[in-house]
Amino acid sequence: MNDVGRASLPTWRQQARFTRKELRETLRDRRTIVTLVLMPVLLYPLLGLGFRFVAIQQIAAEEPEYRLVTRTEQEGLWLQQALNAGDRLLPASASPDDRPPTPRLQLFTLEEPTRLALEQVVASGEATLGVDVVFADPVGDGPEVQVDLLRGRESVAGRDAADYVAERLRAYNLAEVDRRVRLQGGELRLPVVERLLLVDSPESPSAILGLLPLVLLLMTVTGGVYPAIDLTAGERERGTLESLMALPVPRFQLLAAKFVAVVAVTMLTGMMNLLAMSVTVHVLQLEALVFGEAGLTWGLGVKLMTVLTTFAVFYSAVLLAITGSARSFKEAQAYLIPLLLLSLAPGMVILLPGWTLNYGTAVVPLVNMLLLARSLFEGDASLGAGLAATVSTLFYTLVALSLAARVFGNDAVASGSSGSWGELVRRPPHGSAAPSVNVVLLTLAMLFPAYFTASGLLARGTESPIGQRLVLSSVLTVTLFALLPGLLAWWHRVRFDSGFRVRGAHWLVWPAAVVLGLTAWPLVFQLVVWLKALGWGSFDAETAKRVEELLVAWKSVSPLVVVVAMGIVPGVCEELFFRGFLFAGLRTQLGGWNSVYVSAVAFGLFHVVLAGGAAPERFVPSLLMGFLLGWVAWRSGSVLPSILVHVTHNSLLVTVATYRDQLAGWGLGGEETESLPPTWLAASVAGLLVGVLLLSLSNRMHDSGTEAPPSTS
Amino acid sequence: MIVLEELTKQFGEDVTAVDRLSLSVSPGEVYGLLGPNGAGKTTTLRMVLGLLEPTSGEASIHGFRSSEDPTEIKRRIGLVSASAGHYQWLTPRETFEYFGCGYGMTDDAVRSRIDDLAETMAIVDFLDRRCAHLSTGQQQRVTLARALFHDPPVVLLDEPTRGLDVVGAQVVFDYVGRLRDEGKAVVVCTHQLEEAERLCDRFGLLHRGRLRHEGDLEELRTSTGRRTLVEMFLALLEADRSVDGEP
Repeated sequence: MNDVGRASLPTWRQQARFTRKELRETLRDRRTIVTLVLMPVLLYPLLGLGFRFVAIQQIAAEEPEYRLVTRTEQEGLWLQQALNAGDRLLPASASPDDRPPTPRLQLFTLEEPTRLALEQVVASGEATLGVDVVFADPVGDGPEVQVDLLRGRESVAGRDAADYVAERLRAYNLAEVDRRVRLQGGELRLPVVERLLLVDSPESPSAILGLLPLVLLLMTVTGGVYPAIDLTAGERERGTLESLMALPVPRFQLLAAKFVAVVAVTMLTGMMNLLAMSVTVHVLQLEALVFGEAGLTWGLGVKLMTVLTTFAVFYSAVLLAITGSARSFKEAQAYLIPLLLLSLAPGMVILLPGWTLNYGTAVVPLVNMLLLARSLFEGDASLGAGLAATVSTLFYTLVALSLAARVFGNDAVASGSSGSWGELVRRPPHGSAAPSVNVVLLTLAMLFPAYFTASGLLARGTESPIGQRLVLSSVLTVTLFALLPGLLAWWHRVRFDSGFRVRGAHWLVWPAAVVLGLTAWPLVFQLVVWLKALGWGSFDAETAKRVEELLVAWKSVSPLVVVVAMGIVPGVCEELFFRGFLFAGLRTQLGGWNSVYVSAVAFGLFHVVLAGGAAPERFVPSLLMGFLLGWVAWRSGSVLPSILVHVTHNSLLVTVATYRDQLAGWGLGGEETESLPPTWLAASVAGLLVGVLLLSLSNRMHDSGTEAPPSTS
Repeated sequence: MIVLEELTKQFGEDVTAVDRLSLSVSPGEVYGLLGPNGAGKTTTLRMVLGLLEPTSGEASIHGFRSSEDPTEIKRRIGLVSASAGHYQWLTPRETFEYFGCGYGMTDDAVRSRIDDLAETMAIVDFLDRRCAHLSTGQQQRVTLARALFHDPPVVLLDEPTRGLDVVGAQVVFDYVGRLRDEGKAVVVCTHQLEEAERLCDRFGLLHRGRLRHEGDLEELRTSTGRRTLVEMFLALLEADRSVDGEP
């Protein structure tokens, strides 16, 4: 073999080329262009015209026209005078806005002045309301004028017209009685006076805006469907899949290029839709109706694009997961129809009253993003819930992508022998040294909602004794971060020592870990203070009060219990998962640095979740801590040193928090808004440097400290 | 050098597509893996390529084992398949660039290789025409060139002449001859037995997933007592019918 067969192209460049090919192939396809350009260009003017028609109808409904018919001209004249008088006599409303719209009246008379003819004209719809006026004998006992109102039984306009006429006749009647009482020197005092006030419901000004999330969803799906099918099932159908899978590159890499292409086309479609929609709305002068009073502002545009991007990313992954297992275009289309129908359901659900974005709905796939989109339009999105919705959606995206990578390119799907979705839960016949990246990503995706829900439930038990809560917290941590991955490792026959990276390390690593664990916290603490100063804090007074109560409660139990529950147990279990199981799985596909980055981001995101809420300001410090722990675990080749760093760091922080009153004299503030003394920060930096130096030395002295490059199978 | 050791593939519990297949192919040798449809030829190739995981056994190429170094194995194999399609919206040049990139080749190496192969495979005239507009013969040349693009030491050909006319088949024969001359280890899977006699140096007769006979034509004639590959296969099928109790 010549040198040309050897891998000499950097991975990022290779990835860029793969993506370019997928984009080139997709964008050259006329069918994509039709979806991308022609459909919105044709669709939106049509929709706009329909919309305008509905709007005109709405305006028409606001200014109704009543056609009133009487038998004779004389009756008509009387009715006209009575209505005019009644109109003037109606009690004044609180404001002009509260007045019902004034209808336009058309009065006409019959050629044949009979009751039967009057009924026929009303029944045929020629008249909205028939008014039969009978003038009685003025000297008799009965009423002076008997008015019969005739309307169609099912006619809404007839009902409204009858109400309109009856209301004015009552006012006329009342005024006439009042006049006659006054003539006799008396005064008429009405026992009841009514007023009609109109109240706007919160949704009414933006009812159409409330539909926009659903419209966006449909636009997104439309754009991604064809490329997703073409780039997966299409490969199989045109016979290029075998050659593709014969390439010496990880399947995930090939799929990532397809994912980027689908996301890009989906985004382009979404943008084209937005553009076509904006132009249509502008031309038809519907801005205020569609986008609210302010029209399509830059702010609203950015929000729309944010929602569109999130949908694009999430849906592209889901589409690839579904179409990846199809063997033909037809099969892929058959798979996607249920998805499209399912997608409509959450879109309708969020229109129901009472559905808002909270920490419960934030983890419900699709519903969470639709609710977030609606909250953004209405300007009442909460940062915590919005973040939880976004993070959980990204986790679901990861799951969908890992499923897609599993099923894509697997010929054996047809026979069900391997590579099917069931593979993720099926026990393999042979053992392996490390969990696959699909298994660890699936575990990660299972852990996030489970951790979120469990920690939220734990936060509700504030009435329980602190000792019991600490034990429950430890049980939760052990169950989720140690037992669950352990169970999955056992099921997938992954060896414990290599699967969780529990190995020995060079002797210099241990003092390095202790130094790093002892000296990292002042910098982390200071970072939190700085972030709070920058306004990156979401701790409201209620949360701060809860934390304060928790710190006071800690003093009622043995410090050892607090250190074990909050320092040692999370330190050991979280490391076993993030730097053990997850890291080992990531290393089967990624290089050392990339595995450190990914595990650190996951670690940071988990720490945003706080019992019963979210604390976004914890992301950056946790990310940096995760980065340090990941680096220690990678360079030492073992999870044990990172456990030592984590346990030392946590235990020290817990101790400092417990004894902060006693430590106040050392220059430590009682609140997290006070900066640490510069000497503490200098000592922290120095400690970190010593730790890093010792760890680097251990690597030089012992080559086995670093791991071999992963197999890219 | 290709070595298969007891390679086995089972689908479910009942279907054994390939049953303890062992063989080796040396550099410069063209090995014909022959058998009727469903004999297990394509499954064998897919296991060698790492597209299917063997139930047991091992394939190795140049010392790299399929269970340990599947990527290194893929790097050393070129695949020509009758069912291979093309990216209709790409040109042959873009297709080569894509696959060259997949094999980790640099831009310069890709350019040089395109020039080289375009000349030898006579595809210069339609190098920048979209694959959708190429004739069957032109597409076949692109397929053959694509398999050789990264200059692999091993080439696997799965039914390479299926659907081709005489001229197209002759192109494949010439291609295989060139591979032999370049010292590549070649495996040709086909059920076109007369063609195989012209193409291959050595043969493995595969039936129901098992290798029934192996050797060059003379050795097979001696061991089976038949003159042509067709006669040998008919005898095999006859023997199987007797075992199965069919009339």
